Amino acid sequence: MQLPQFEYIRPKSLAEGLAALAEHGDKIAIMSGGSDLLLNMKFRLEGPAYLLSLNGLSELQQLEKLDDGSLRVGAACTLTHLAEHTIIKECYPALRAAIFVVGSRHVRNMGTIGGNICLETRCWYTNQSKIWRDTREGCFKTDAEQCHVIKSAPKCHALNSTDSGPILMALDASVVLASHTGERIVPMREFYQNDGVEHTVLKPGEVLTAVVLPPAKGRSVFRKLSQREGLDFATGTFAAAVIGSNEQPESVSLVLGSVAPEPRVMPQAEKILLEGGLTDEAIDAAADVARRALLEVTNLFTPTFYKKRLIKVLVKDALLELRDQRVRG
Amino acid sequence: MAKAKIKNNVPTKSRTKEDLAVVGKNWSRLDGADKVSGRSIFADDVRLPGMLFAKVVRSPYPHARIISIDTSEAEALPGVKAVITPEDAKDIWIGISQPLLPTENVTHVGHEVAAVAAMSEEIAAQAAALIKVEYERLPELLDVEKALKEDAPQLHEKAALNIGWQQEEEHGDPDAVFAECDVIREDTYITNPSHNCYAEYHVCVADFTKPGKLKMWTPTQTAHLFQQSLAAGFKLPASDVRLLTLNTGGGFTGRTSTRPHHFLAALLSRKAGKPVRLRAAGDEEFIMCRAGGKVIYKLRSGASKDGKLKVIEADLLFDTGAYIESQMIVTLLTSKYIHALYPIEASRYRGRLVHTNHLPYYFHHGGGIAQFQFALGQHVDALAREMGMDPVEFNLLNAVEEGHTTMEGAHYASCGLKECIEKTAAMAGWNDKYGKLPKFKGIGIGIGAMASGAKGLYKHDTSAAFVKVTEDGKASLFVGLPDMGQSSHTTMAIICAEVLGILPTDITVISGDTDTDPLDIGAFTQRGTFNTGNATKNAAIDARDQLAKTAANILEVDEAQLVFRDGKVYPEGQEDKAIAFAKVVYKTLHSREGRFVMGRGFYNSPLEKGTMAYSFGAQIAEVTVDPGTGVVTVDKMTASHDVGRAINPRVVEGQIDGQIFSGMSQVLYEETLMEDGQVMNPSRLDYKMPRAFEMPEVDHIIVESIDPNGPFGAKEVGEGPIVCTMQAIANAVTNAIGDQVTEMPLAPWRVIRAIKD
Amino acid sequence: MAKQLIALTVNGDPYEVAVSPHQTLLEVMRDSLNLTGTKRGCTAGSCGVCTVNGEQGEVILSCLALAVEWDGRSVTTVEGVEEGNELHPIQKSFLEHGAVQCGFCTPGLIMSAKALLDVNTSPSETDINEAMAGVICRCTGHIKVKKAIKEAASVLREREVNHGES
Repeated sequence: MQLPQFEYIRPKSLAEGLAALAEHGDKIAIMSGGSDLLLNMKFRLEGPAYLLSLNGLSELQQLEKLDDGSLRVGAACTLTHLAEHTIIKECYPALRAAIFVVGSRHVRNMGTIGGNICLETRCWYTNQSKIWRDTREGCFKTDAEQCHVIKSAPKCHALNSTDSGPILMALDASVVLASHTGERIVPMREFYQNDGVEHTVLKPGEVLTAVVLPPAKGRSVFRKLSQREGLDFATGTFAAAVIGSNEQPESVSLVLGSVAPEPRVMPQAEKILLEGGLTDEAIDAAADVARRALLEVTNLFTPTFYKKRLIKVLVKDALLELRDQRVRG
Repeated sequence: MAKAKIKNNVPTKSRTKEDLAVVGKNWSRLDGADKVSGRSIFADDVRLPGMLFAKVVRSPYPHARIISIDTSEAEALPGVKAVITPEDAKDIWIGISQPLLPTENVTHVGHEVAAVAAMSEEIAAQAAALIKVEYERLPELLDVEKALKEDAPQLHEKAALNIGWQQEEEHGDPDAVFAECDVIREDTYITNPSHNCYAEYHVCVADFTKPGKLKMWTPTQTAHLFQQSLAAGFKLPASDVRLLTLNTGGGFTGRTSTRPHHFLAALLSRKAGKPVRLRAAGDEEFIMCRAGGKVIYKLRSGASKDGKLKVIEADLLFDTGAYIESQMIVTLLTSKYIHALYPIEASRYRGRLVHTNHLPYYFHHGGGIAQFQFALGQHVDALAREMGMDPVEFNLLNAVEEGHTTMEGAHYASCGLKECIEKTAAMAGWNDKYGKLPKFKGIGIGIGAMASGAKGLYKHDTSAAFVKVTEDGKASLFVGLPDMGQSSHTTMAIICAEVLGILPTDITVISGDTDTDPLDIGAFTQRGTFNTGNATKNAAIDARDQLAKTAANILEVDEAQLVFRDGKVYPEGQEDKAIAFAKVVYKTLHSREGRFVMGRGFYNSPLEKGTMAYSFGAQIAEVTVDPGTGVVTVDKMTASHDVGRAINPRVVEGQIDGQIFSGMSQVLYEETLMEDGQVMNPSRLDYKMPRAFEMPEVDHIIVESIDPNGPFGAKEVGEGPIVCTMQAIANAVTNAIGDQVTEMPLAPWRVIRAIKD
Repeated sequence: MAKQLIALTVNGDPYEVAVSPHQTLLEVMRDSLNLTGTKRGCTAGSCGVCTVNGEQGEVILSCLALAVEWDGRSVTTVEGVEEGNELHPIQKSFLEHGAVQCGFCTPGLIMSAKALLDVNTSPSETDINEAMAGVICRCTGHIKVKKAIKEAASVLREREVNHGES
């Protein structure tokens, strides 16, 4: 498979890049690692006239400890770099776990944290070559008003398979979105949208430049289920963060991934744990809520009963693991 | 004059391993250094002056009538050098029923309709997109069972009820034997569509620029059959087609016949007057050749209460796809393998190849037999358990032995099956584990047999070899057997070296060019070591006989007393009189006759039908099933294989490993998911195969039942192990969860469905 | 889209080559520089046969890397692993332990193993699996590949000890 043609822009500074974004509107695509974008371009899902490469911008590749103890991670840091970084390993082990299961080492060496957060949603009807797609009618992602995954749906149900998204949400991280008019900071919990086409709040002309992680506090866990270990998209991911004791948690944050066009926060399950503590009964109840909350099951060729069961197992096992973690001061 | 009878090299059953100089030792593959350093050339690496690049226009529909094809825009695109449509492909057939390009109806998604050749792959793709084909959709048949219904549309005029081929066989009186049985069991199994997923994508380079002469570089398991089929397609004498194999990036039973792309590249080359490369791009890989369609296996068997298996009945239904090329082979094979393992009293077999609007069915690794054994092995395991018998005990009680002749006439001149079962069970610690494992841990056995050779599928089963002995005391060995990774060329070099008394590294194997190498029907039905090995041995003996004459003169002894070993020739027991092998060669050439040493040999099974050797194996799988997710982890495989003599034990182990991987991959992971006749997961990412993480520990036991007819007693390890793997793993899963998972692959959701809470 | 002249060093050899922005590193190496040791596989980042090593010796999927991004940088391919006329210990080990069958994925496996062993000569089983999971191999079932990597690691460890002082 070959790439379509485009004009390549490699800015010398972020400002120069933002200016290019402003200038070219929807004709420009942003590339950092390229492993997601270039494949979608080979599939002719994207055909930008211009391609803006972030790869030369060292300002996007820094890790910086901020005054309030939070950690600012440049969006163009490769996943390998982060997974091997001492601060990430020691302070954010669940994030490290999530990063380390993205694709394969080959992909992680090229792919960046910004790229993984913004990972395009994916489905088996659309993420195919153009010739393959042309055998069927279009869909929301291409040129028609329908979804092949859930036939009657009013919007796109492609899956969001970001591995880093759920744990960043659980850790209450934020992202910095920059455009030539300035920056805005968006909490990760508000970054995604439940629509496979417009799956993030990024606006044209904006680029995700950094992730800000609040100071490490409490305990967290990340789990990924996939058929194959290494180079496989998840059949389900789950991230959880708890501050406080098992008996009386101060905050509970639970996020399911790879089950919908957005990573899904589970407020009802959070409430159960917050009120009941991490008891066997509460964990079981929370897992059950997660299972029931899964309304539209979009994993093709896997029966609904199985997917729902899987989610329950995933949530329960992860919460049990979390409960056993040492409580940090 | 009597030919030299050189004791050193006569393979007999009584010989011990130590007698052999190079056979039975570990040798690195001769082409290995090239492969690890990037010097090996594959077809996609071929660069020819003026070479063009092809792209195929394919049907987007499972079934439709072609109303029109408009190529004008494509032809006008700068850089386009040739466009072909059904008009250009008249009277060219793939197999017996498939026109190269259909003039009326397309019958499956991806069906070739037209093709272009252009100066670059990009231009070719653009041009293909500019070809306008107008279709009228026709009713589609996408389910093999529905295709059999009276009211189903009929895809081919001659195939009533869409049955393209039916084979029925009966041995003994099955109904009478069933009536005598104490236990009768019935099961139904399903194997789903699959793909071979070789590392190397489908590709060929065709040079048809010289009138009437076609040259083609392509990966293949059967270069000489490719040559014949291309010649038949283009109505050329076979010798005007030159097939160049180079290296082949994996075969797995999927590269045994020409496919449409081979003919299309040649047609384009002829029309454009330039060489043309045609390579699968992305998902095209999954539609240029399909490894298997859905198969439904209905099995019924009966046994007496003392545990003797007496009768087996099998009814197999194959979704054979839109056309039949050589798929009838799968019924010929599966009908034989009912009898292969147990000396039963009667059998009944029916195999039906049913047409649908799916891609033509082809073969996956294991050739349909391994997949059939997934069903039969589970069925027999269930029967044993139903009778309260331990499956190992059941198999030992029932397994065939040396000297057995099956109901359909296969004779086992050597057979180490029981030894395999016993040794595998002992090494795996079966008795300590079966029935004693904790919940969700399981252990299971699978046993198998595999014929070495294709006699019966083809009229002849010939392999030939030449040996050219050079003045420096080395030799070139010419064989037509492709090496697609199984190290067959190195195996041939070892056999040749053993006979000549030199080292395998002294041998240059010349192969991969049908202009140069002698006939060999190829590397499939695990025939290489046995057939080509015998041919090689015969050729080497012929060369050695020519040298023995010289050596006997020099040493003034009878030819029959000579020993060829360690690069020397000497009368038996008198090594001090040895003369260098090179010197014997020199003297033979620099004699009054000026004799240049060239050996020739060939081998064909002397039987009217069937082959002379069968390999056997047993494998025990140990698994853990996650009761939450249904994921099966294979913890350990213990594999024994009766290969006859292991010519190169390291390679035997490697072949066992590879087949265990492939069997495990097929039984637990692989499935081409189909919807509307289209492959939904046509990629290395979504068509799941395990990788490094998933591989279990493998213990190997090589059983050497020295075969009287094999080269140095060798049989095969080509496809024997894989027939054991799938059933062993499936039986282990059954043991872990208490019930069978009857549909392959044993995807986690199928396992969960089978677990009774 | 105008072509751009890039300076690309492959296996220590400096090349100047005109590339279009949409050409991948794989395409440029194979089609412009005729370095066909690196194989073209799925071209979608999933099979790993096109793996090369980047400037820090890290694994890179050359099918998903834009050649223009490699202007002024260097890569190592399977053709550049040998040490003088000798096979590298990893290559030797693959050969001697039967880790090579059809050979099509071998360049990807070798480059992935090299990236691992260049920085870690005492890899655990998990380290090896993690380093190799990006590469497909149907023939060997990865078993002998893993063995070859372990054996090569021990050779390289010994070499480190012997050259430890220098």
